[in-house]
Amino acid sequence: MATEKCFAKGSPAPGPVPKGRLRLYSMRFCPFAQRTRLVLNAKGIKYDTINIDLQEKPEWFLEKNPLGLVPALETSAGEIIYESPITCEYLDEVYPEKKLLPSSPFGKAQQRMLLEHFSKVIPYFYKIPSARRNGEDVSNQEIELKEKFAKLNEHLEKKTTKFFEGDTITMIDYMMWPFFERIEVLELKHCLDHTPELKKWTERMLEDPAVKITMFNMDTYKAFYKSVAEGKPDYDLGL
Amino acid sequence: NFSERCRAEGSPAPGPVPKDQVRLYSMRFCPFAQRTRLVLHAKGIKFETINIHLKQKPDWFLEKNPDGLVPVIETPAGEVVNESVITSVFLDEVYPEKKLLPATPFGKAQQKMMLEHFSKITPQLFKISSARRKGDDVSGLEAELKEKFTSLNEYLVKRKTKFFGGDTITFIDYMMWPFFERLGMFEVQHCLDHTPELKKWTELMLEDPAVKATMHSTENHKTFYNNFLDGKPDFDYGL
Repeated sequence: MATEKCFAKGSPAPGPVPKGRLRLYSMRFCPFAQRTRLVLNAKGIKYDTINIDLQEKPEWFLEKNPLGLVPALETSAGEIIYESPITCEYLDEVYPEKKLLPSSPFGKAQQRMLLEHFSKVIPYFYKIPSARRNGEDVSNQEIELKEKFAKLNEHLEKKTTKFFEGDTITMIDYMMWPFFERIEVLELKHCLDHTPELKKWTERMLEDPAVKITMFNMDTYKAFYKSVAEGKPDYDLGL
Repeated sequence: NFSERCRAEGSPAPGPVPKDQVRLYSMRFCPFAQRTRLVLHAKGIKFETINIHLKQKPDWFLEKNPDGLVPVIETPAGEVVNESVITSVFLDEVYPEKKLLPATPFGKAQQKMMLEHFSKITPQLFKISSARRKGDDVSGLEAELKEKFTSLNEYLVKRKTKFFGGDTITFIDYMMWPFFERLGMFEVQHCLDHTPELKKWTELMLEDPAVKATMHSTENHKTFYNNFLDGKPDFDYGL
């Protein structure tokens, strides 16, 4: 009796996670949760999703996970793992098929360093749209974002690979993707104008099966972000 | 053989890293670099240190690490790893003796989640000390810090363990330690007054050989930090 509709305060607690299954606590439009969903799908892991109403979090959820964040994983042993990069590394370690991280320590370190760099780019995806809504001038921030995209572009140019760390998708591509998926609706697509390799990377990512399963289209995001701006996020939009 | 004195702009580039060791680029008073030094000592890894003048960085250092920050680890193969946590994990993965991270994926995830919680404390320490310097009222900030210390204390009480990952020192203890070593420097040691388990933990940490090998006294920390805040850091203080 799986529903995609989100669970809010007052909702009944779900039972324990059945043996051999994994549970994901998520929100359909959250870019951080999408990272975990990408990894789950890319690796073919069997999982059940419980979406959470992030404005009215259920008490039972806060008991399991005091920070109340999504994404969070729960195993049949009752172990809870949260923070998107931690969930993703955990999944890659537990499920050996279709490894997304390299096996060498240096290869792993390279992925983690790239992720650290990218974590400095993410705030722009929030800052700029919010400043624009307040009628502020965003031109300086857009310049900074373009510089950051130029660095990413350089990385691809230097490596001459199709994806960030090779010719097949690896963990770092999935960790970055959700933000690029939202770039058009956030009105930041023009910041990619002078980064052709980065643009090509986004086109390749759009062909990936895990991306196709987890993505939403522009119209859906537009409607969701509108509901957020109006103060009443519609987590169940489209259901 | 290598002097501890820091190398500045214009200094000659060091040669390649000798085959049987790793090289650490560091700064003697940096808490983030101390994390990596703790791991190197705890695991008995052979290493050489090059301290960097952080206000006049050598060009050859910026070529290896454009971010220009320490700590950085360089291997004989010329692999460069930066970011304190990433270097520490890298070392634990490359050198199998005296593992600091647990062997299980969930054990590793737990340590990473704890580190994520702790990472919210570090900026507060700097905030409090800079606010105090300006003559602002820090009671609100100190109250927040005490709450965070209380959470850490509760964690130790619940688990009934001496250290954060069990009854022996593990990764998370070393990642947290440098900031607790500096509580006197930040003038917040009184914030431990009502957290006896956390206080006990600091006393146990002070007995650890790796801590003893890498620490400075509160007096030395204070002198360095005050010079640093005055814009006249003496990276070679005490040599």
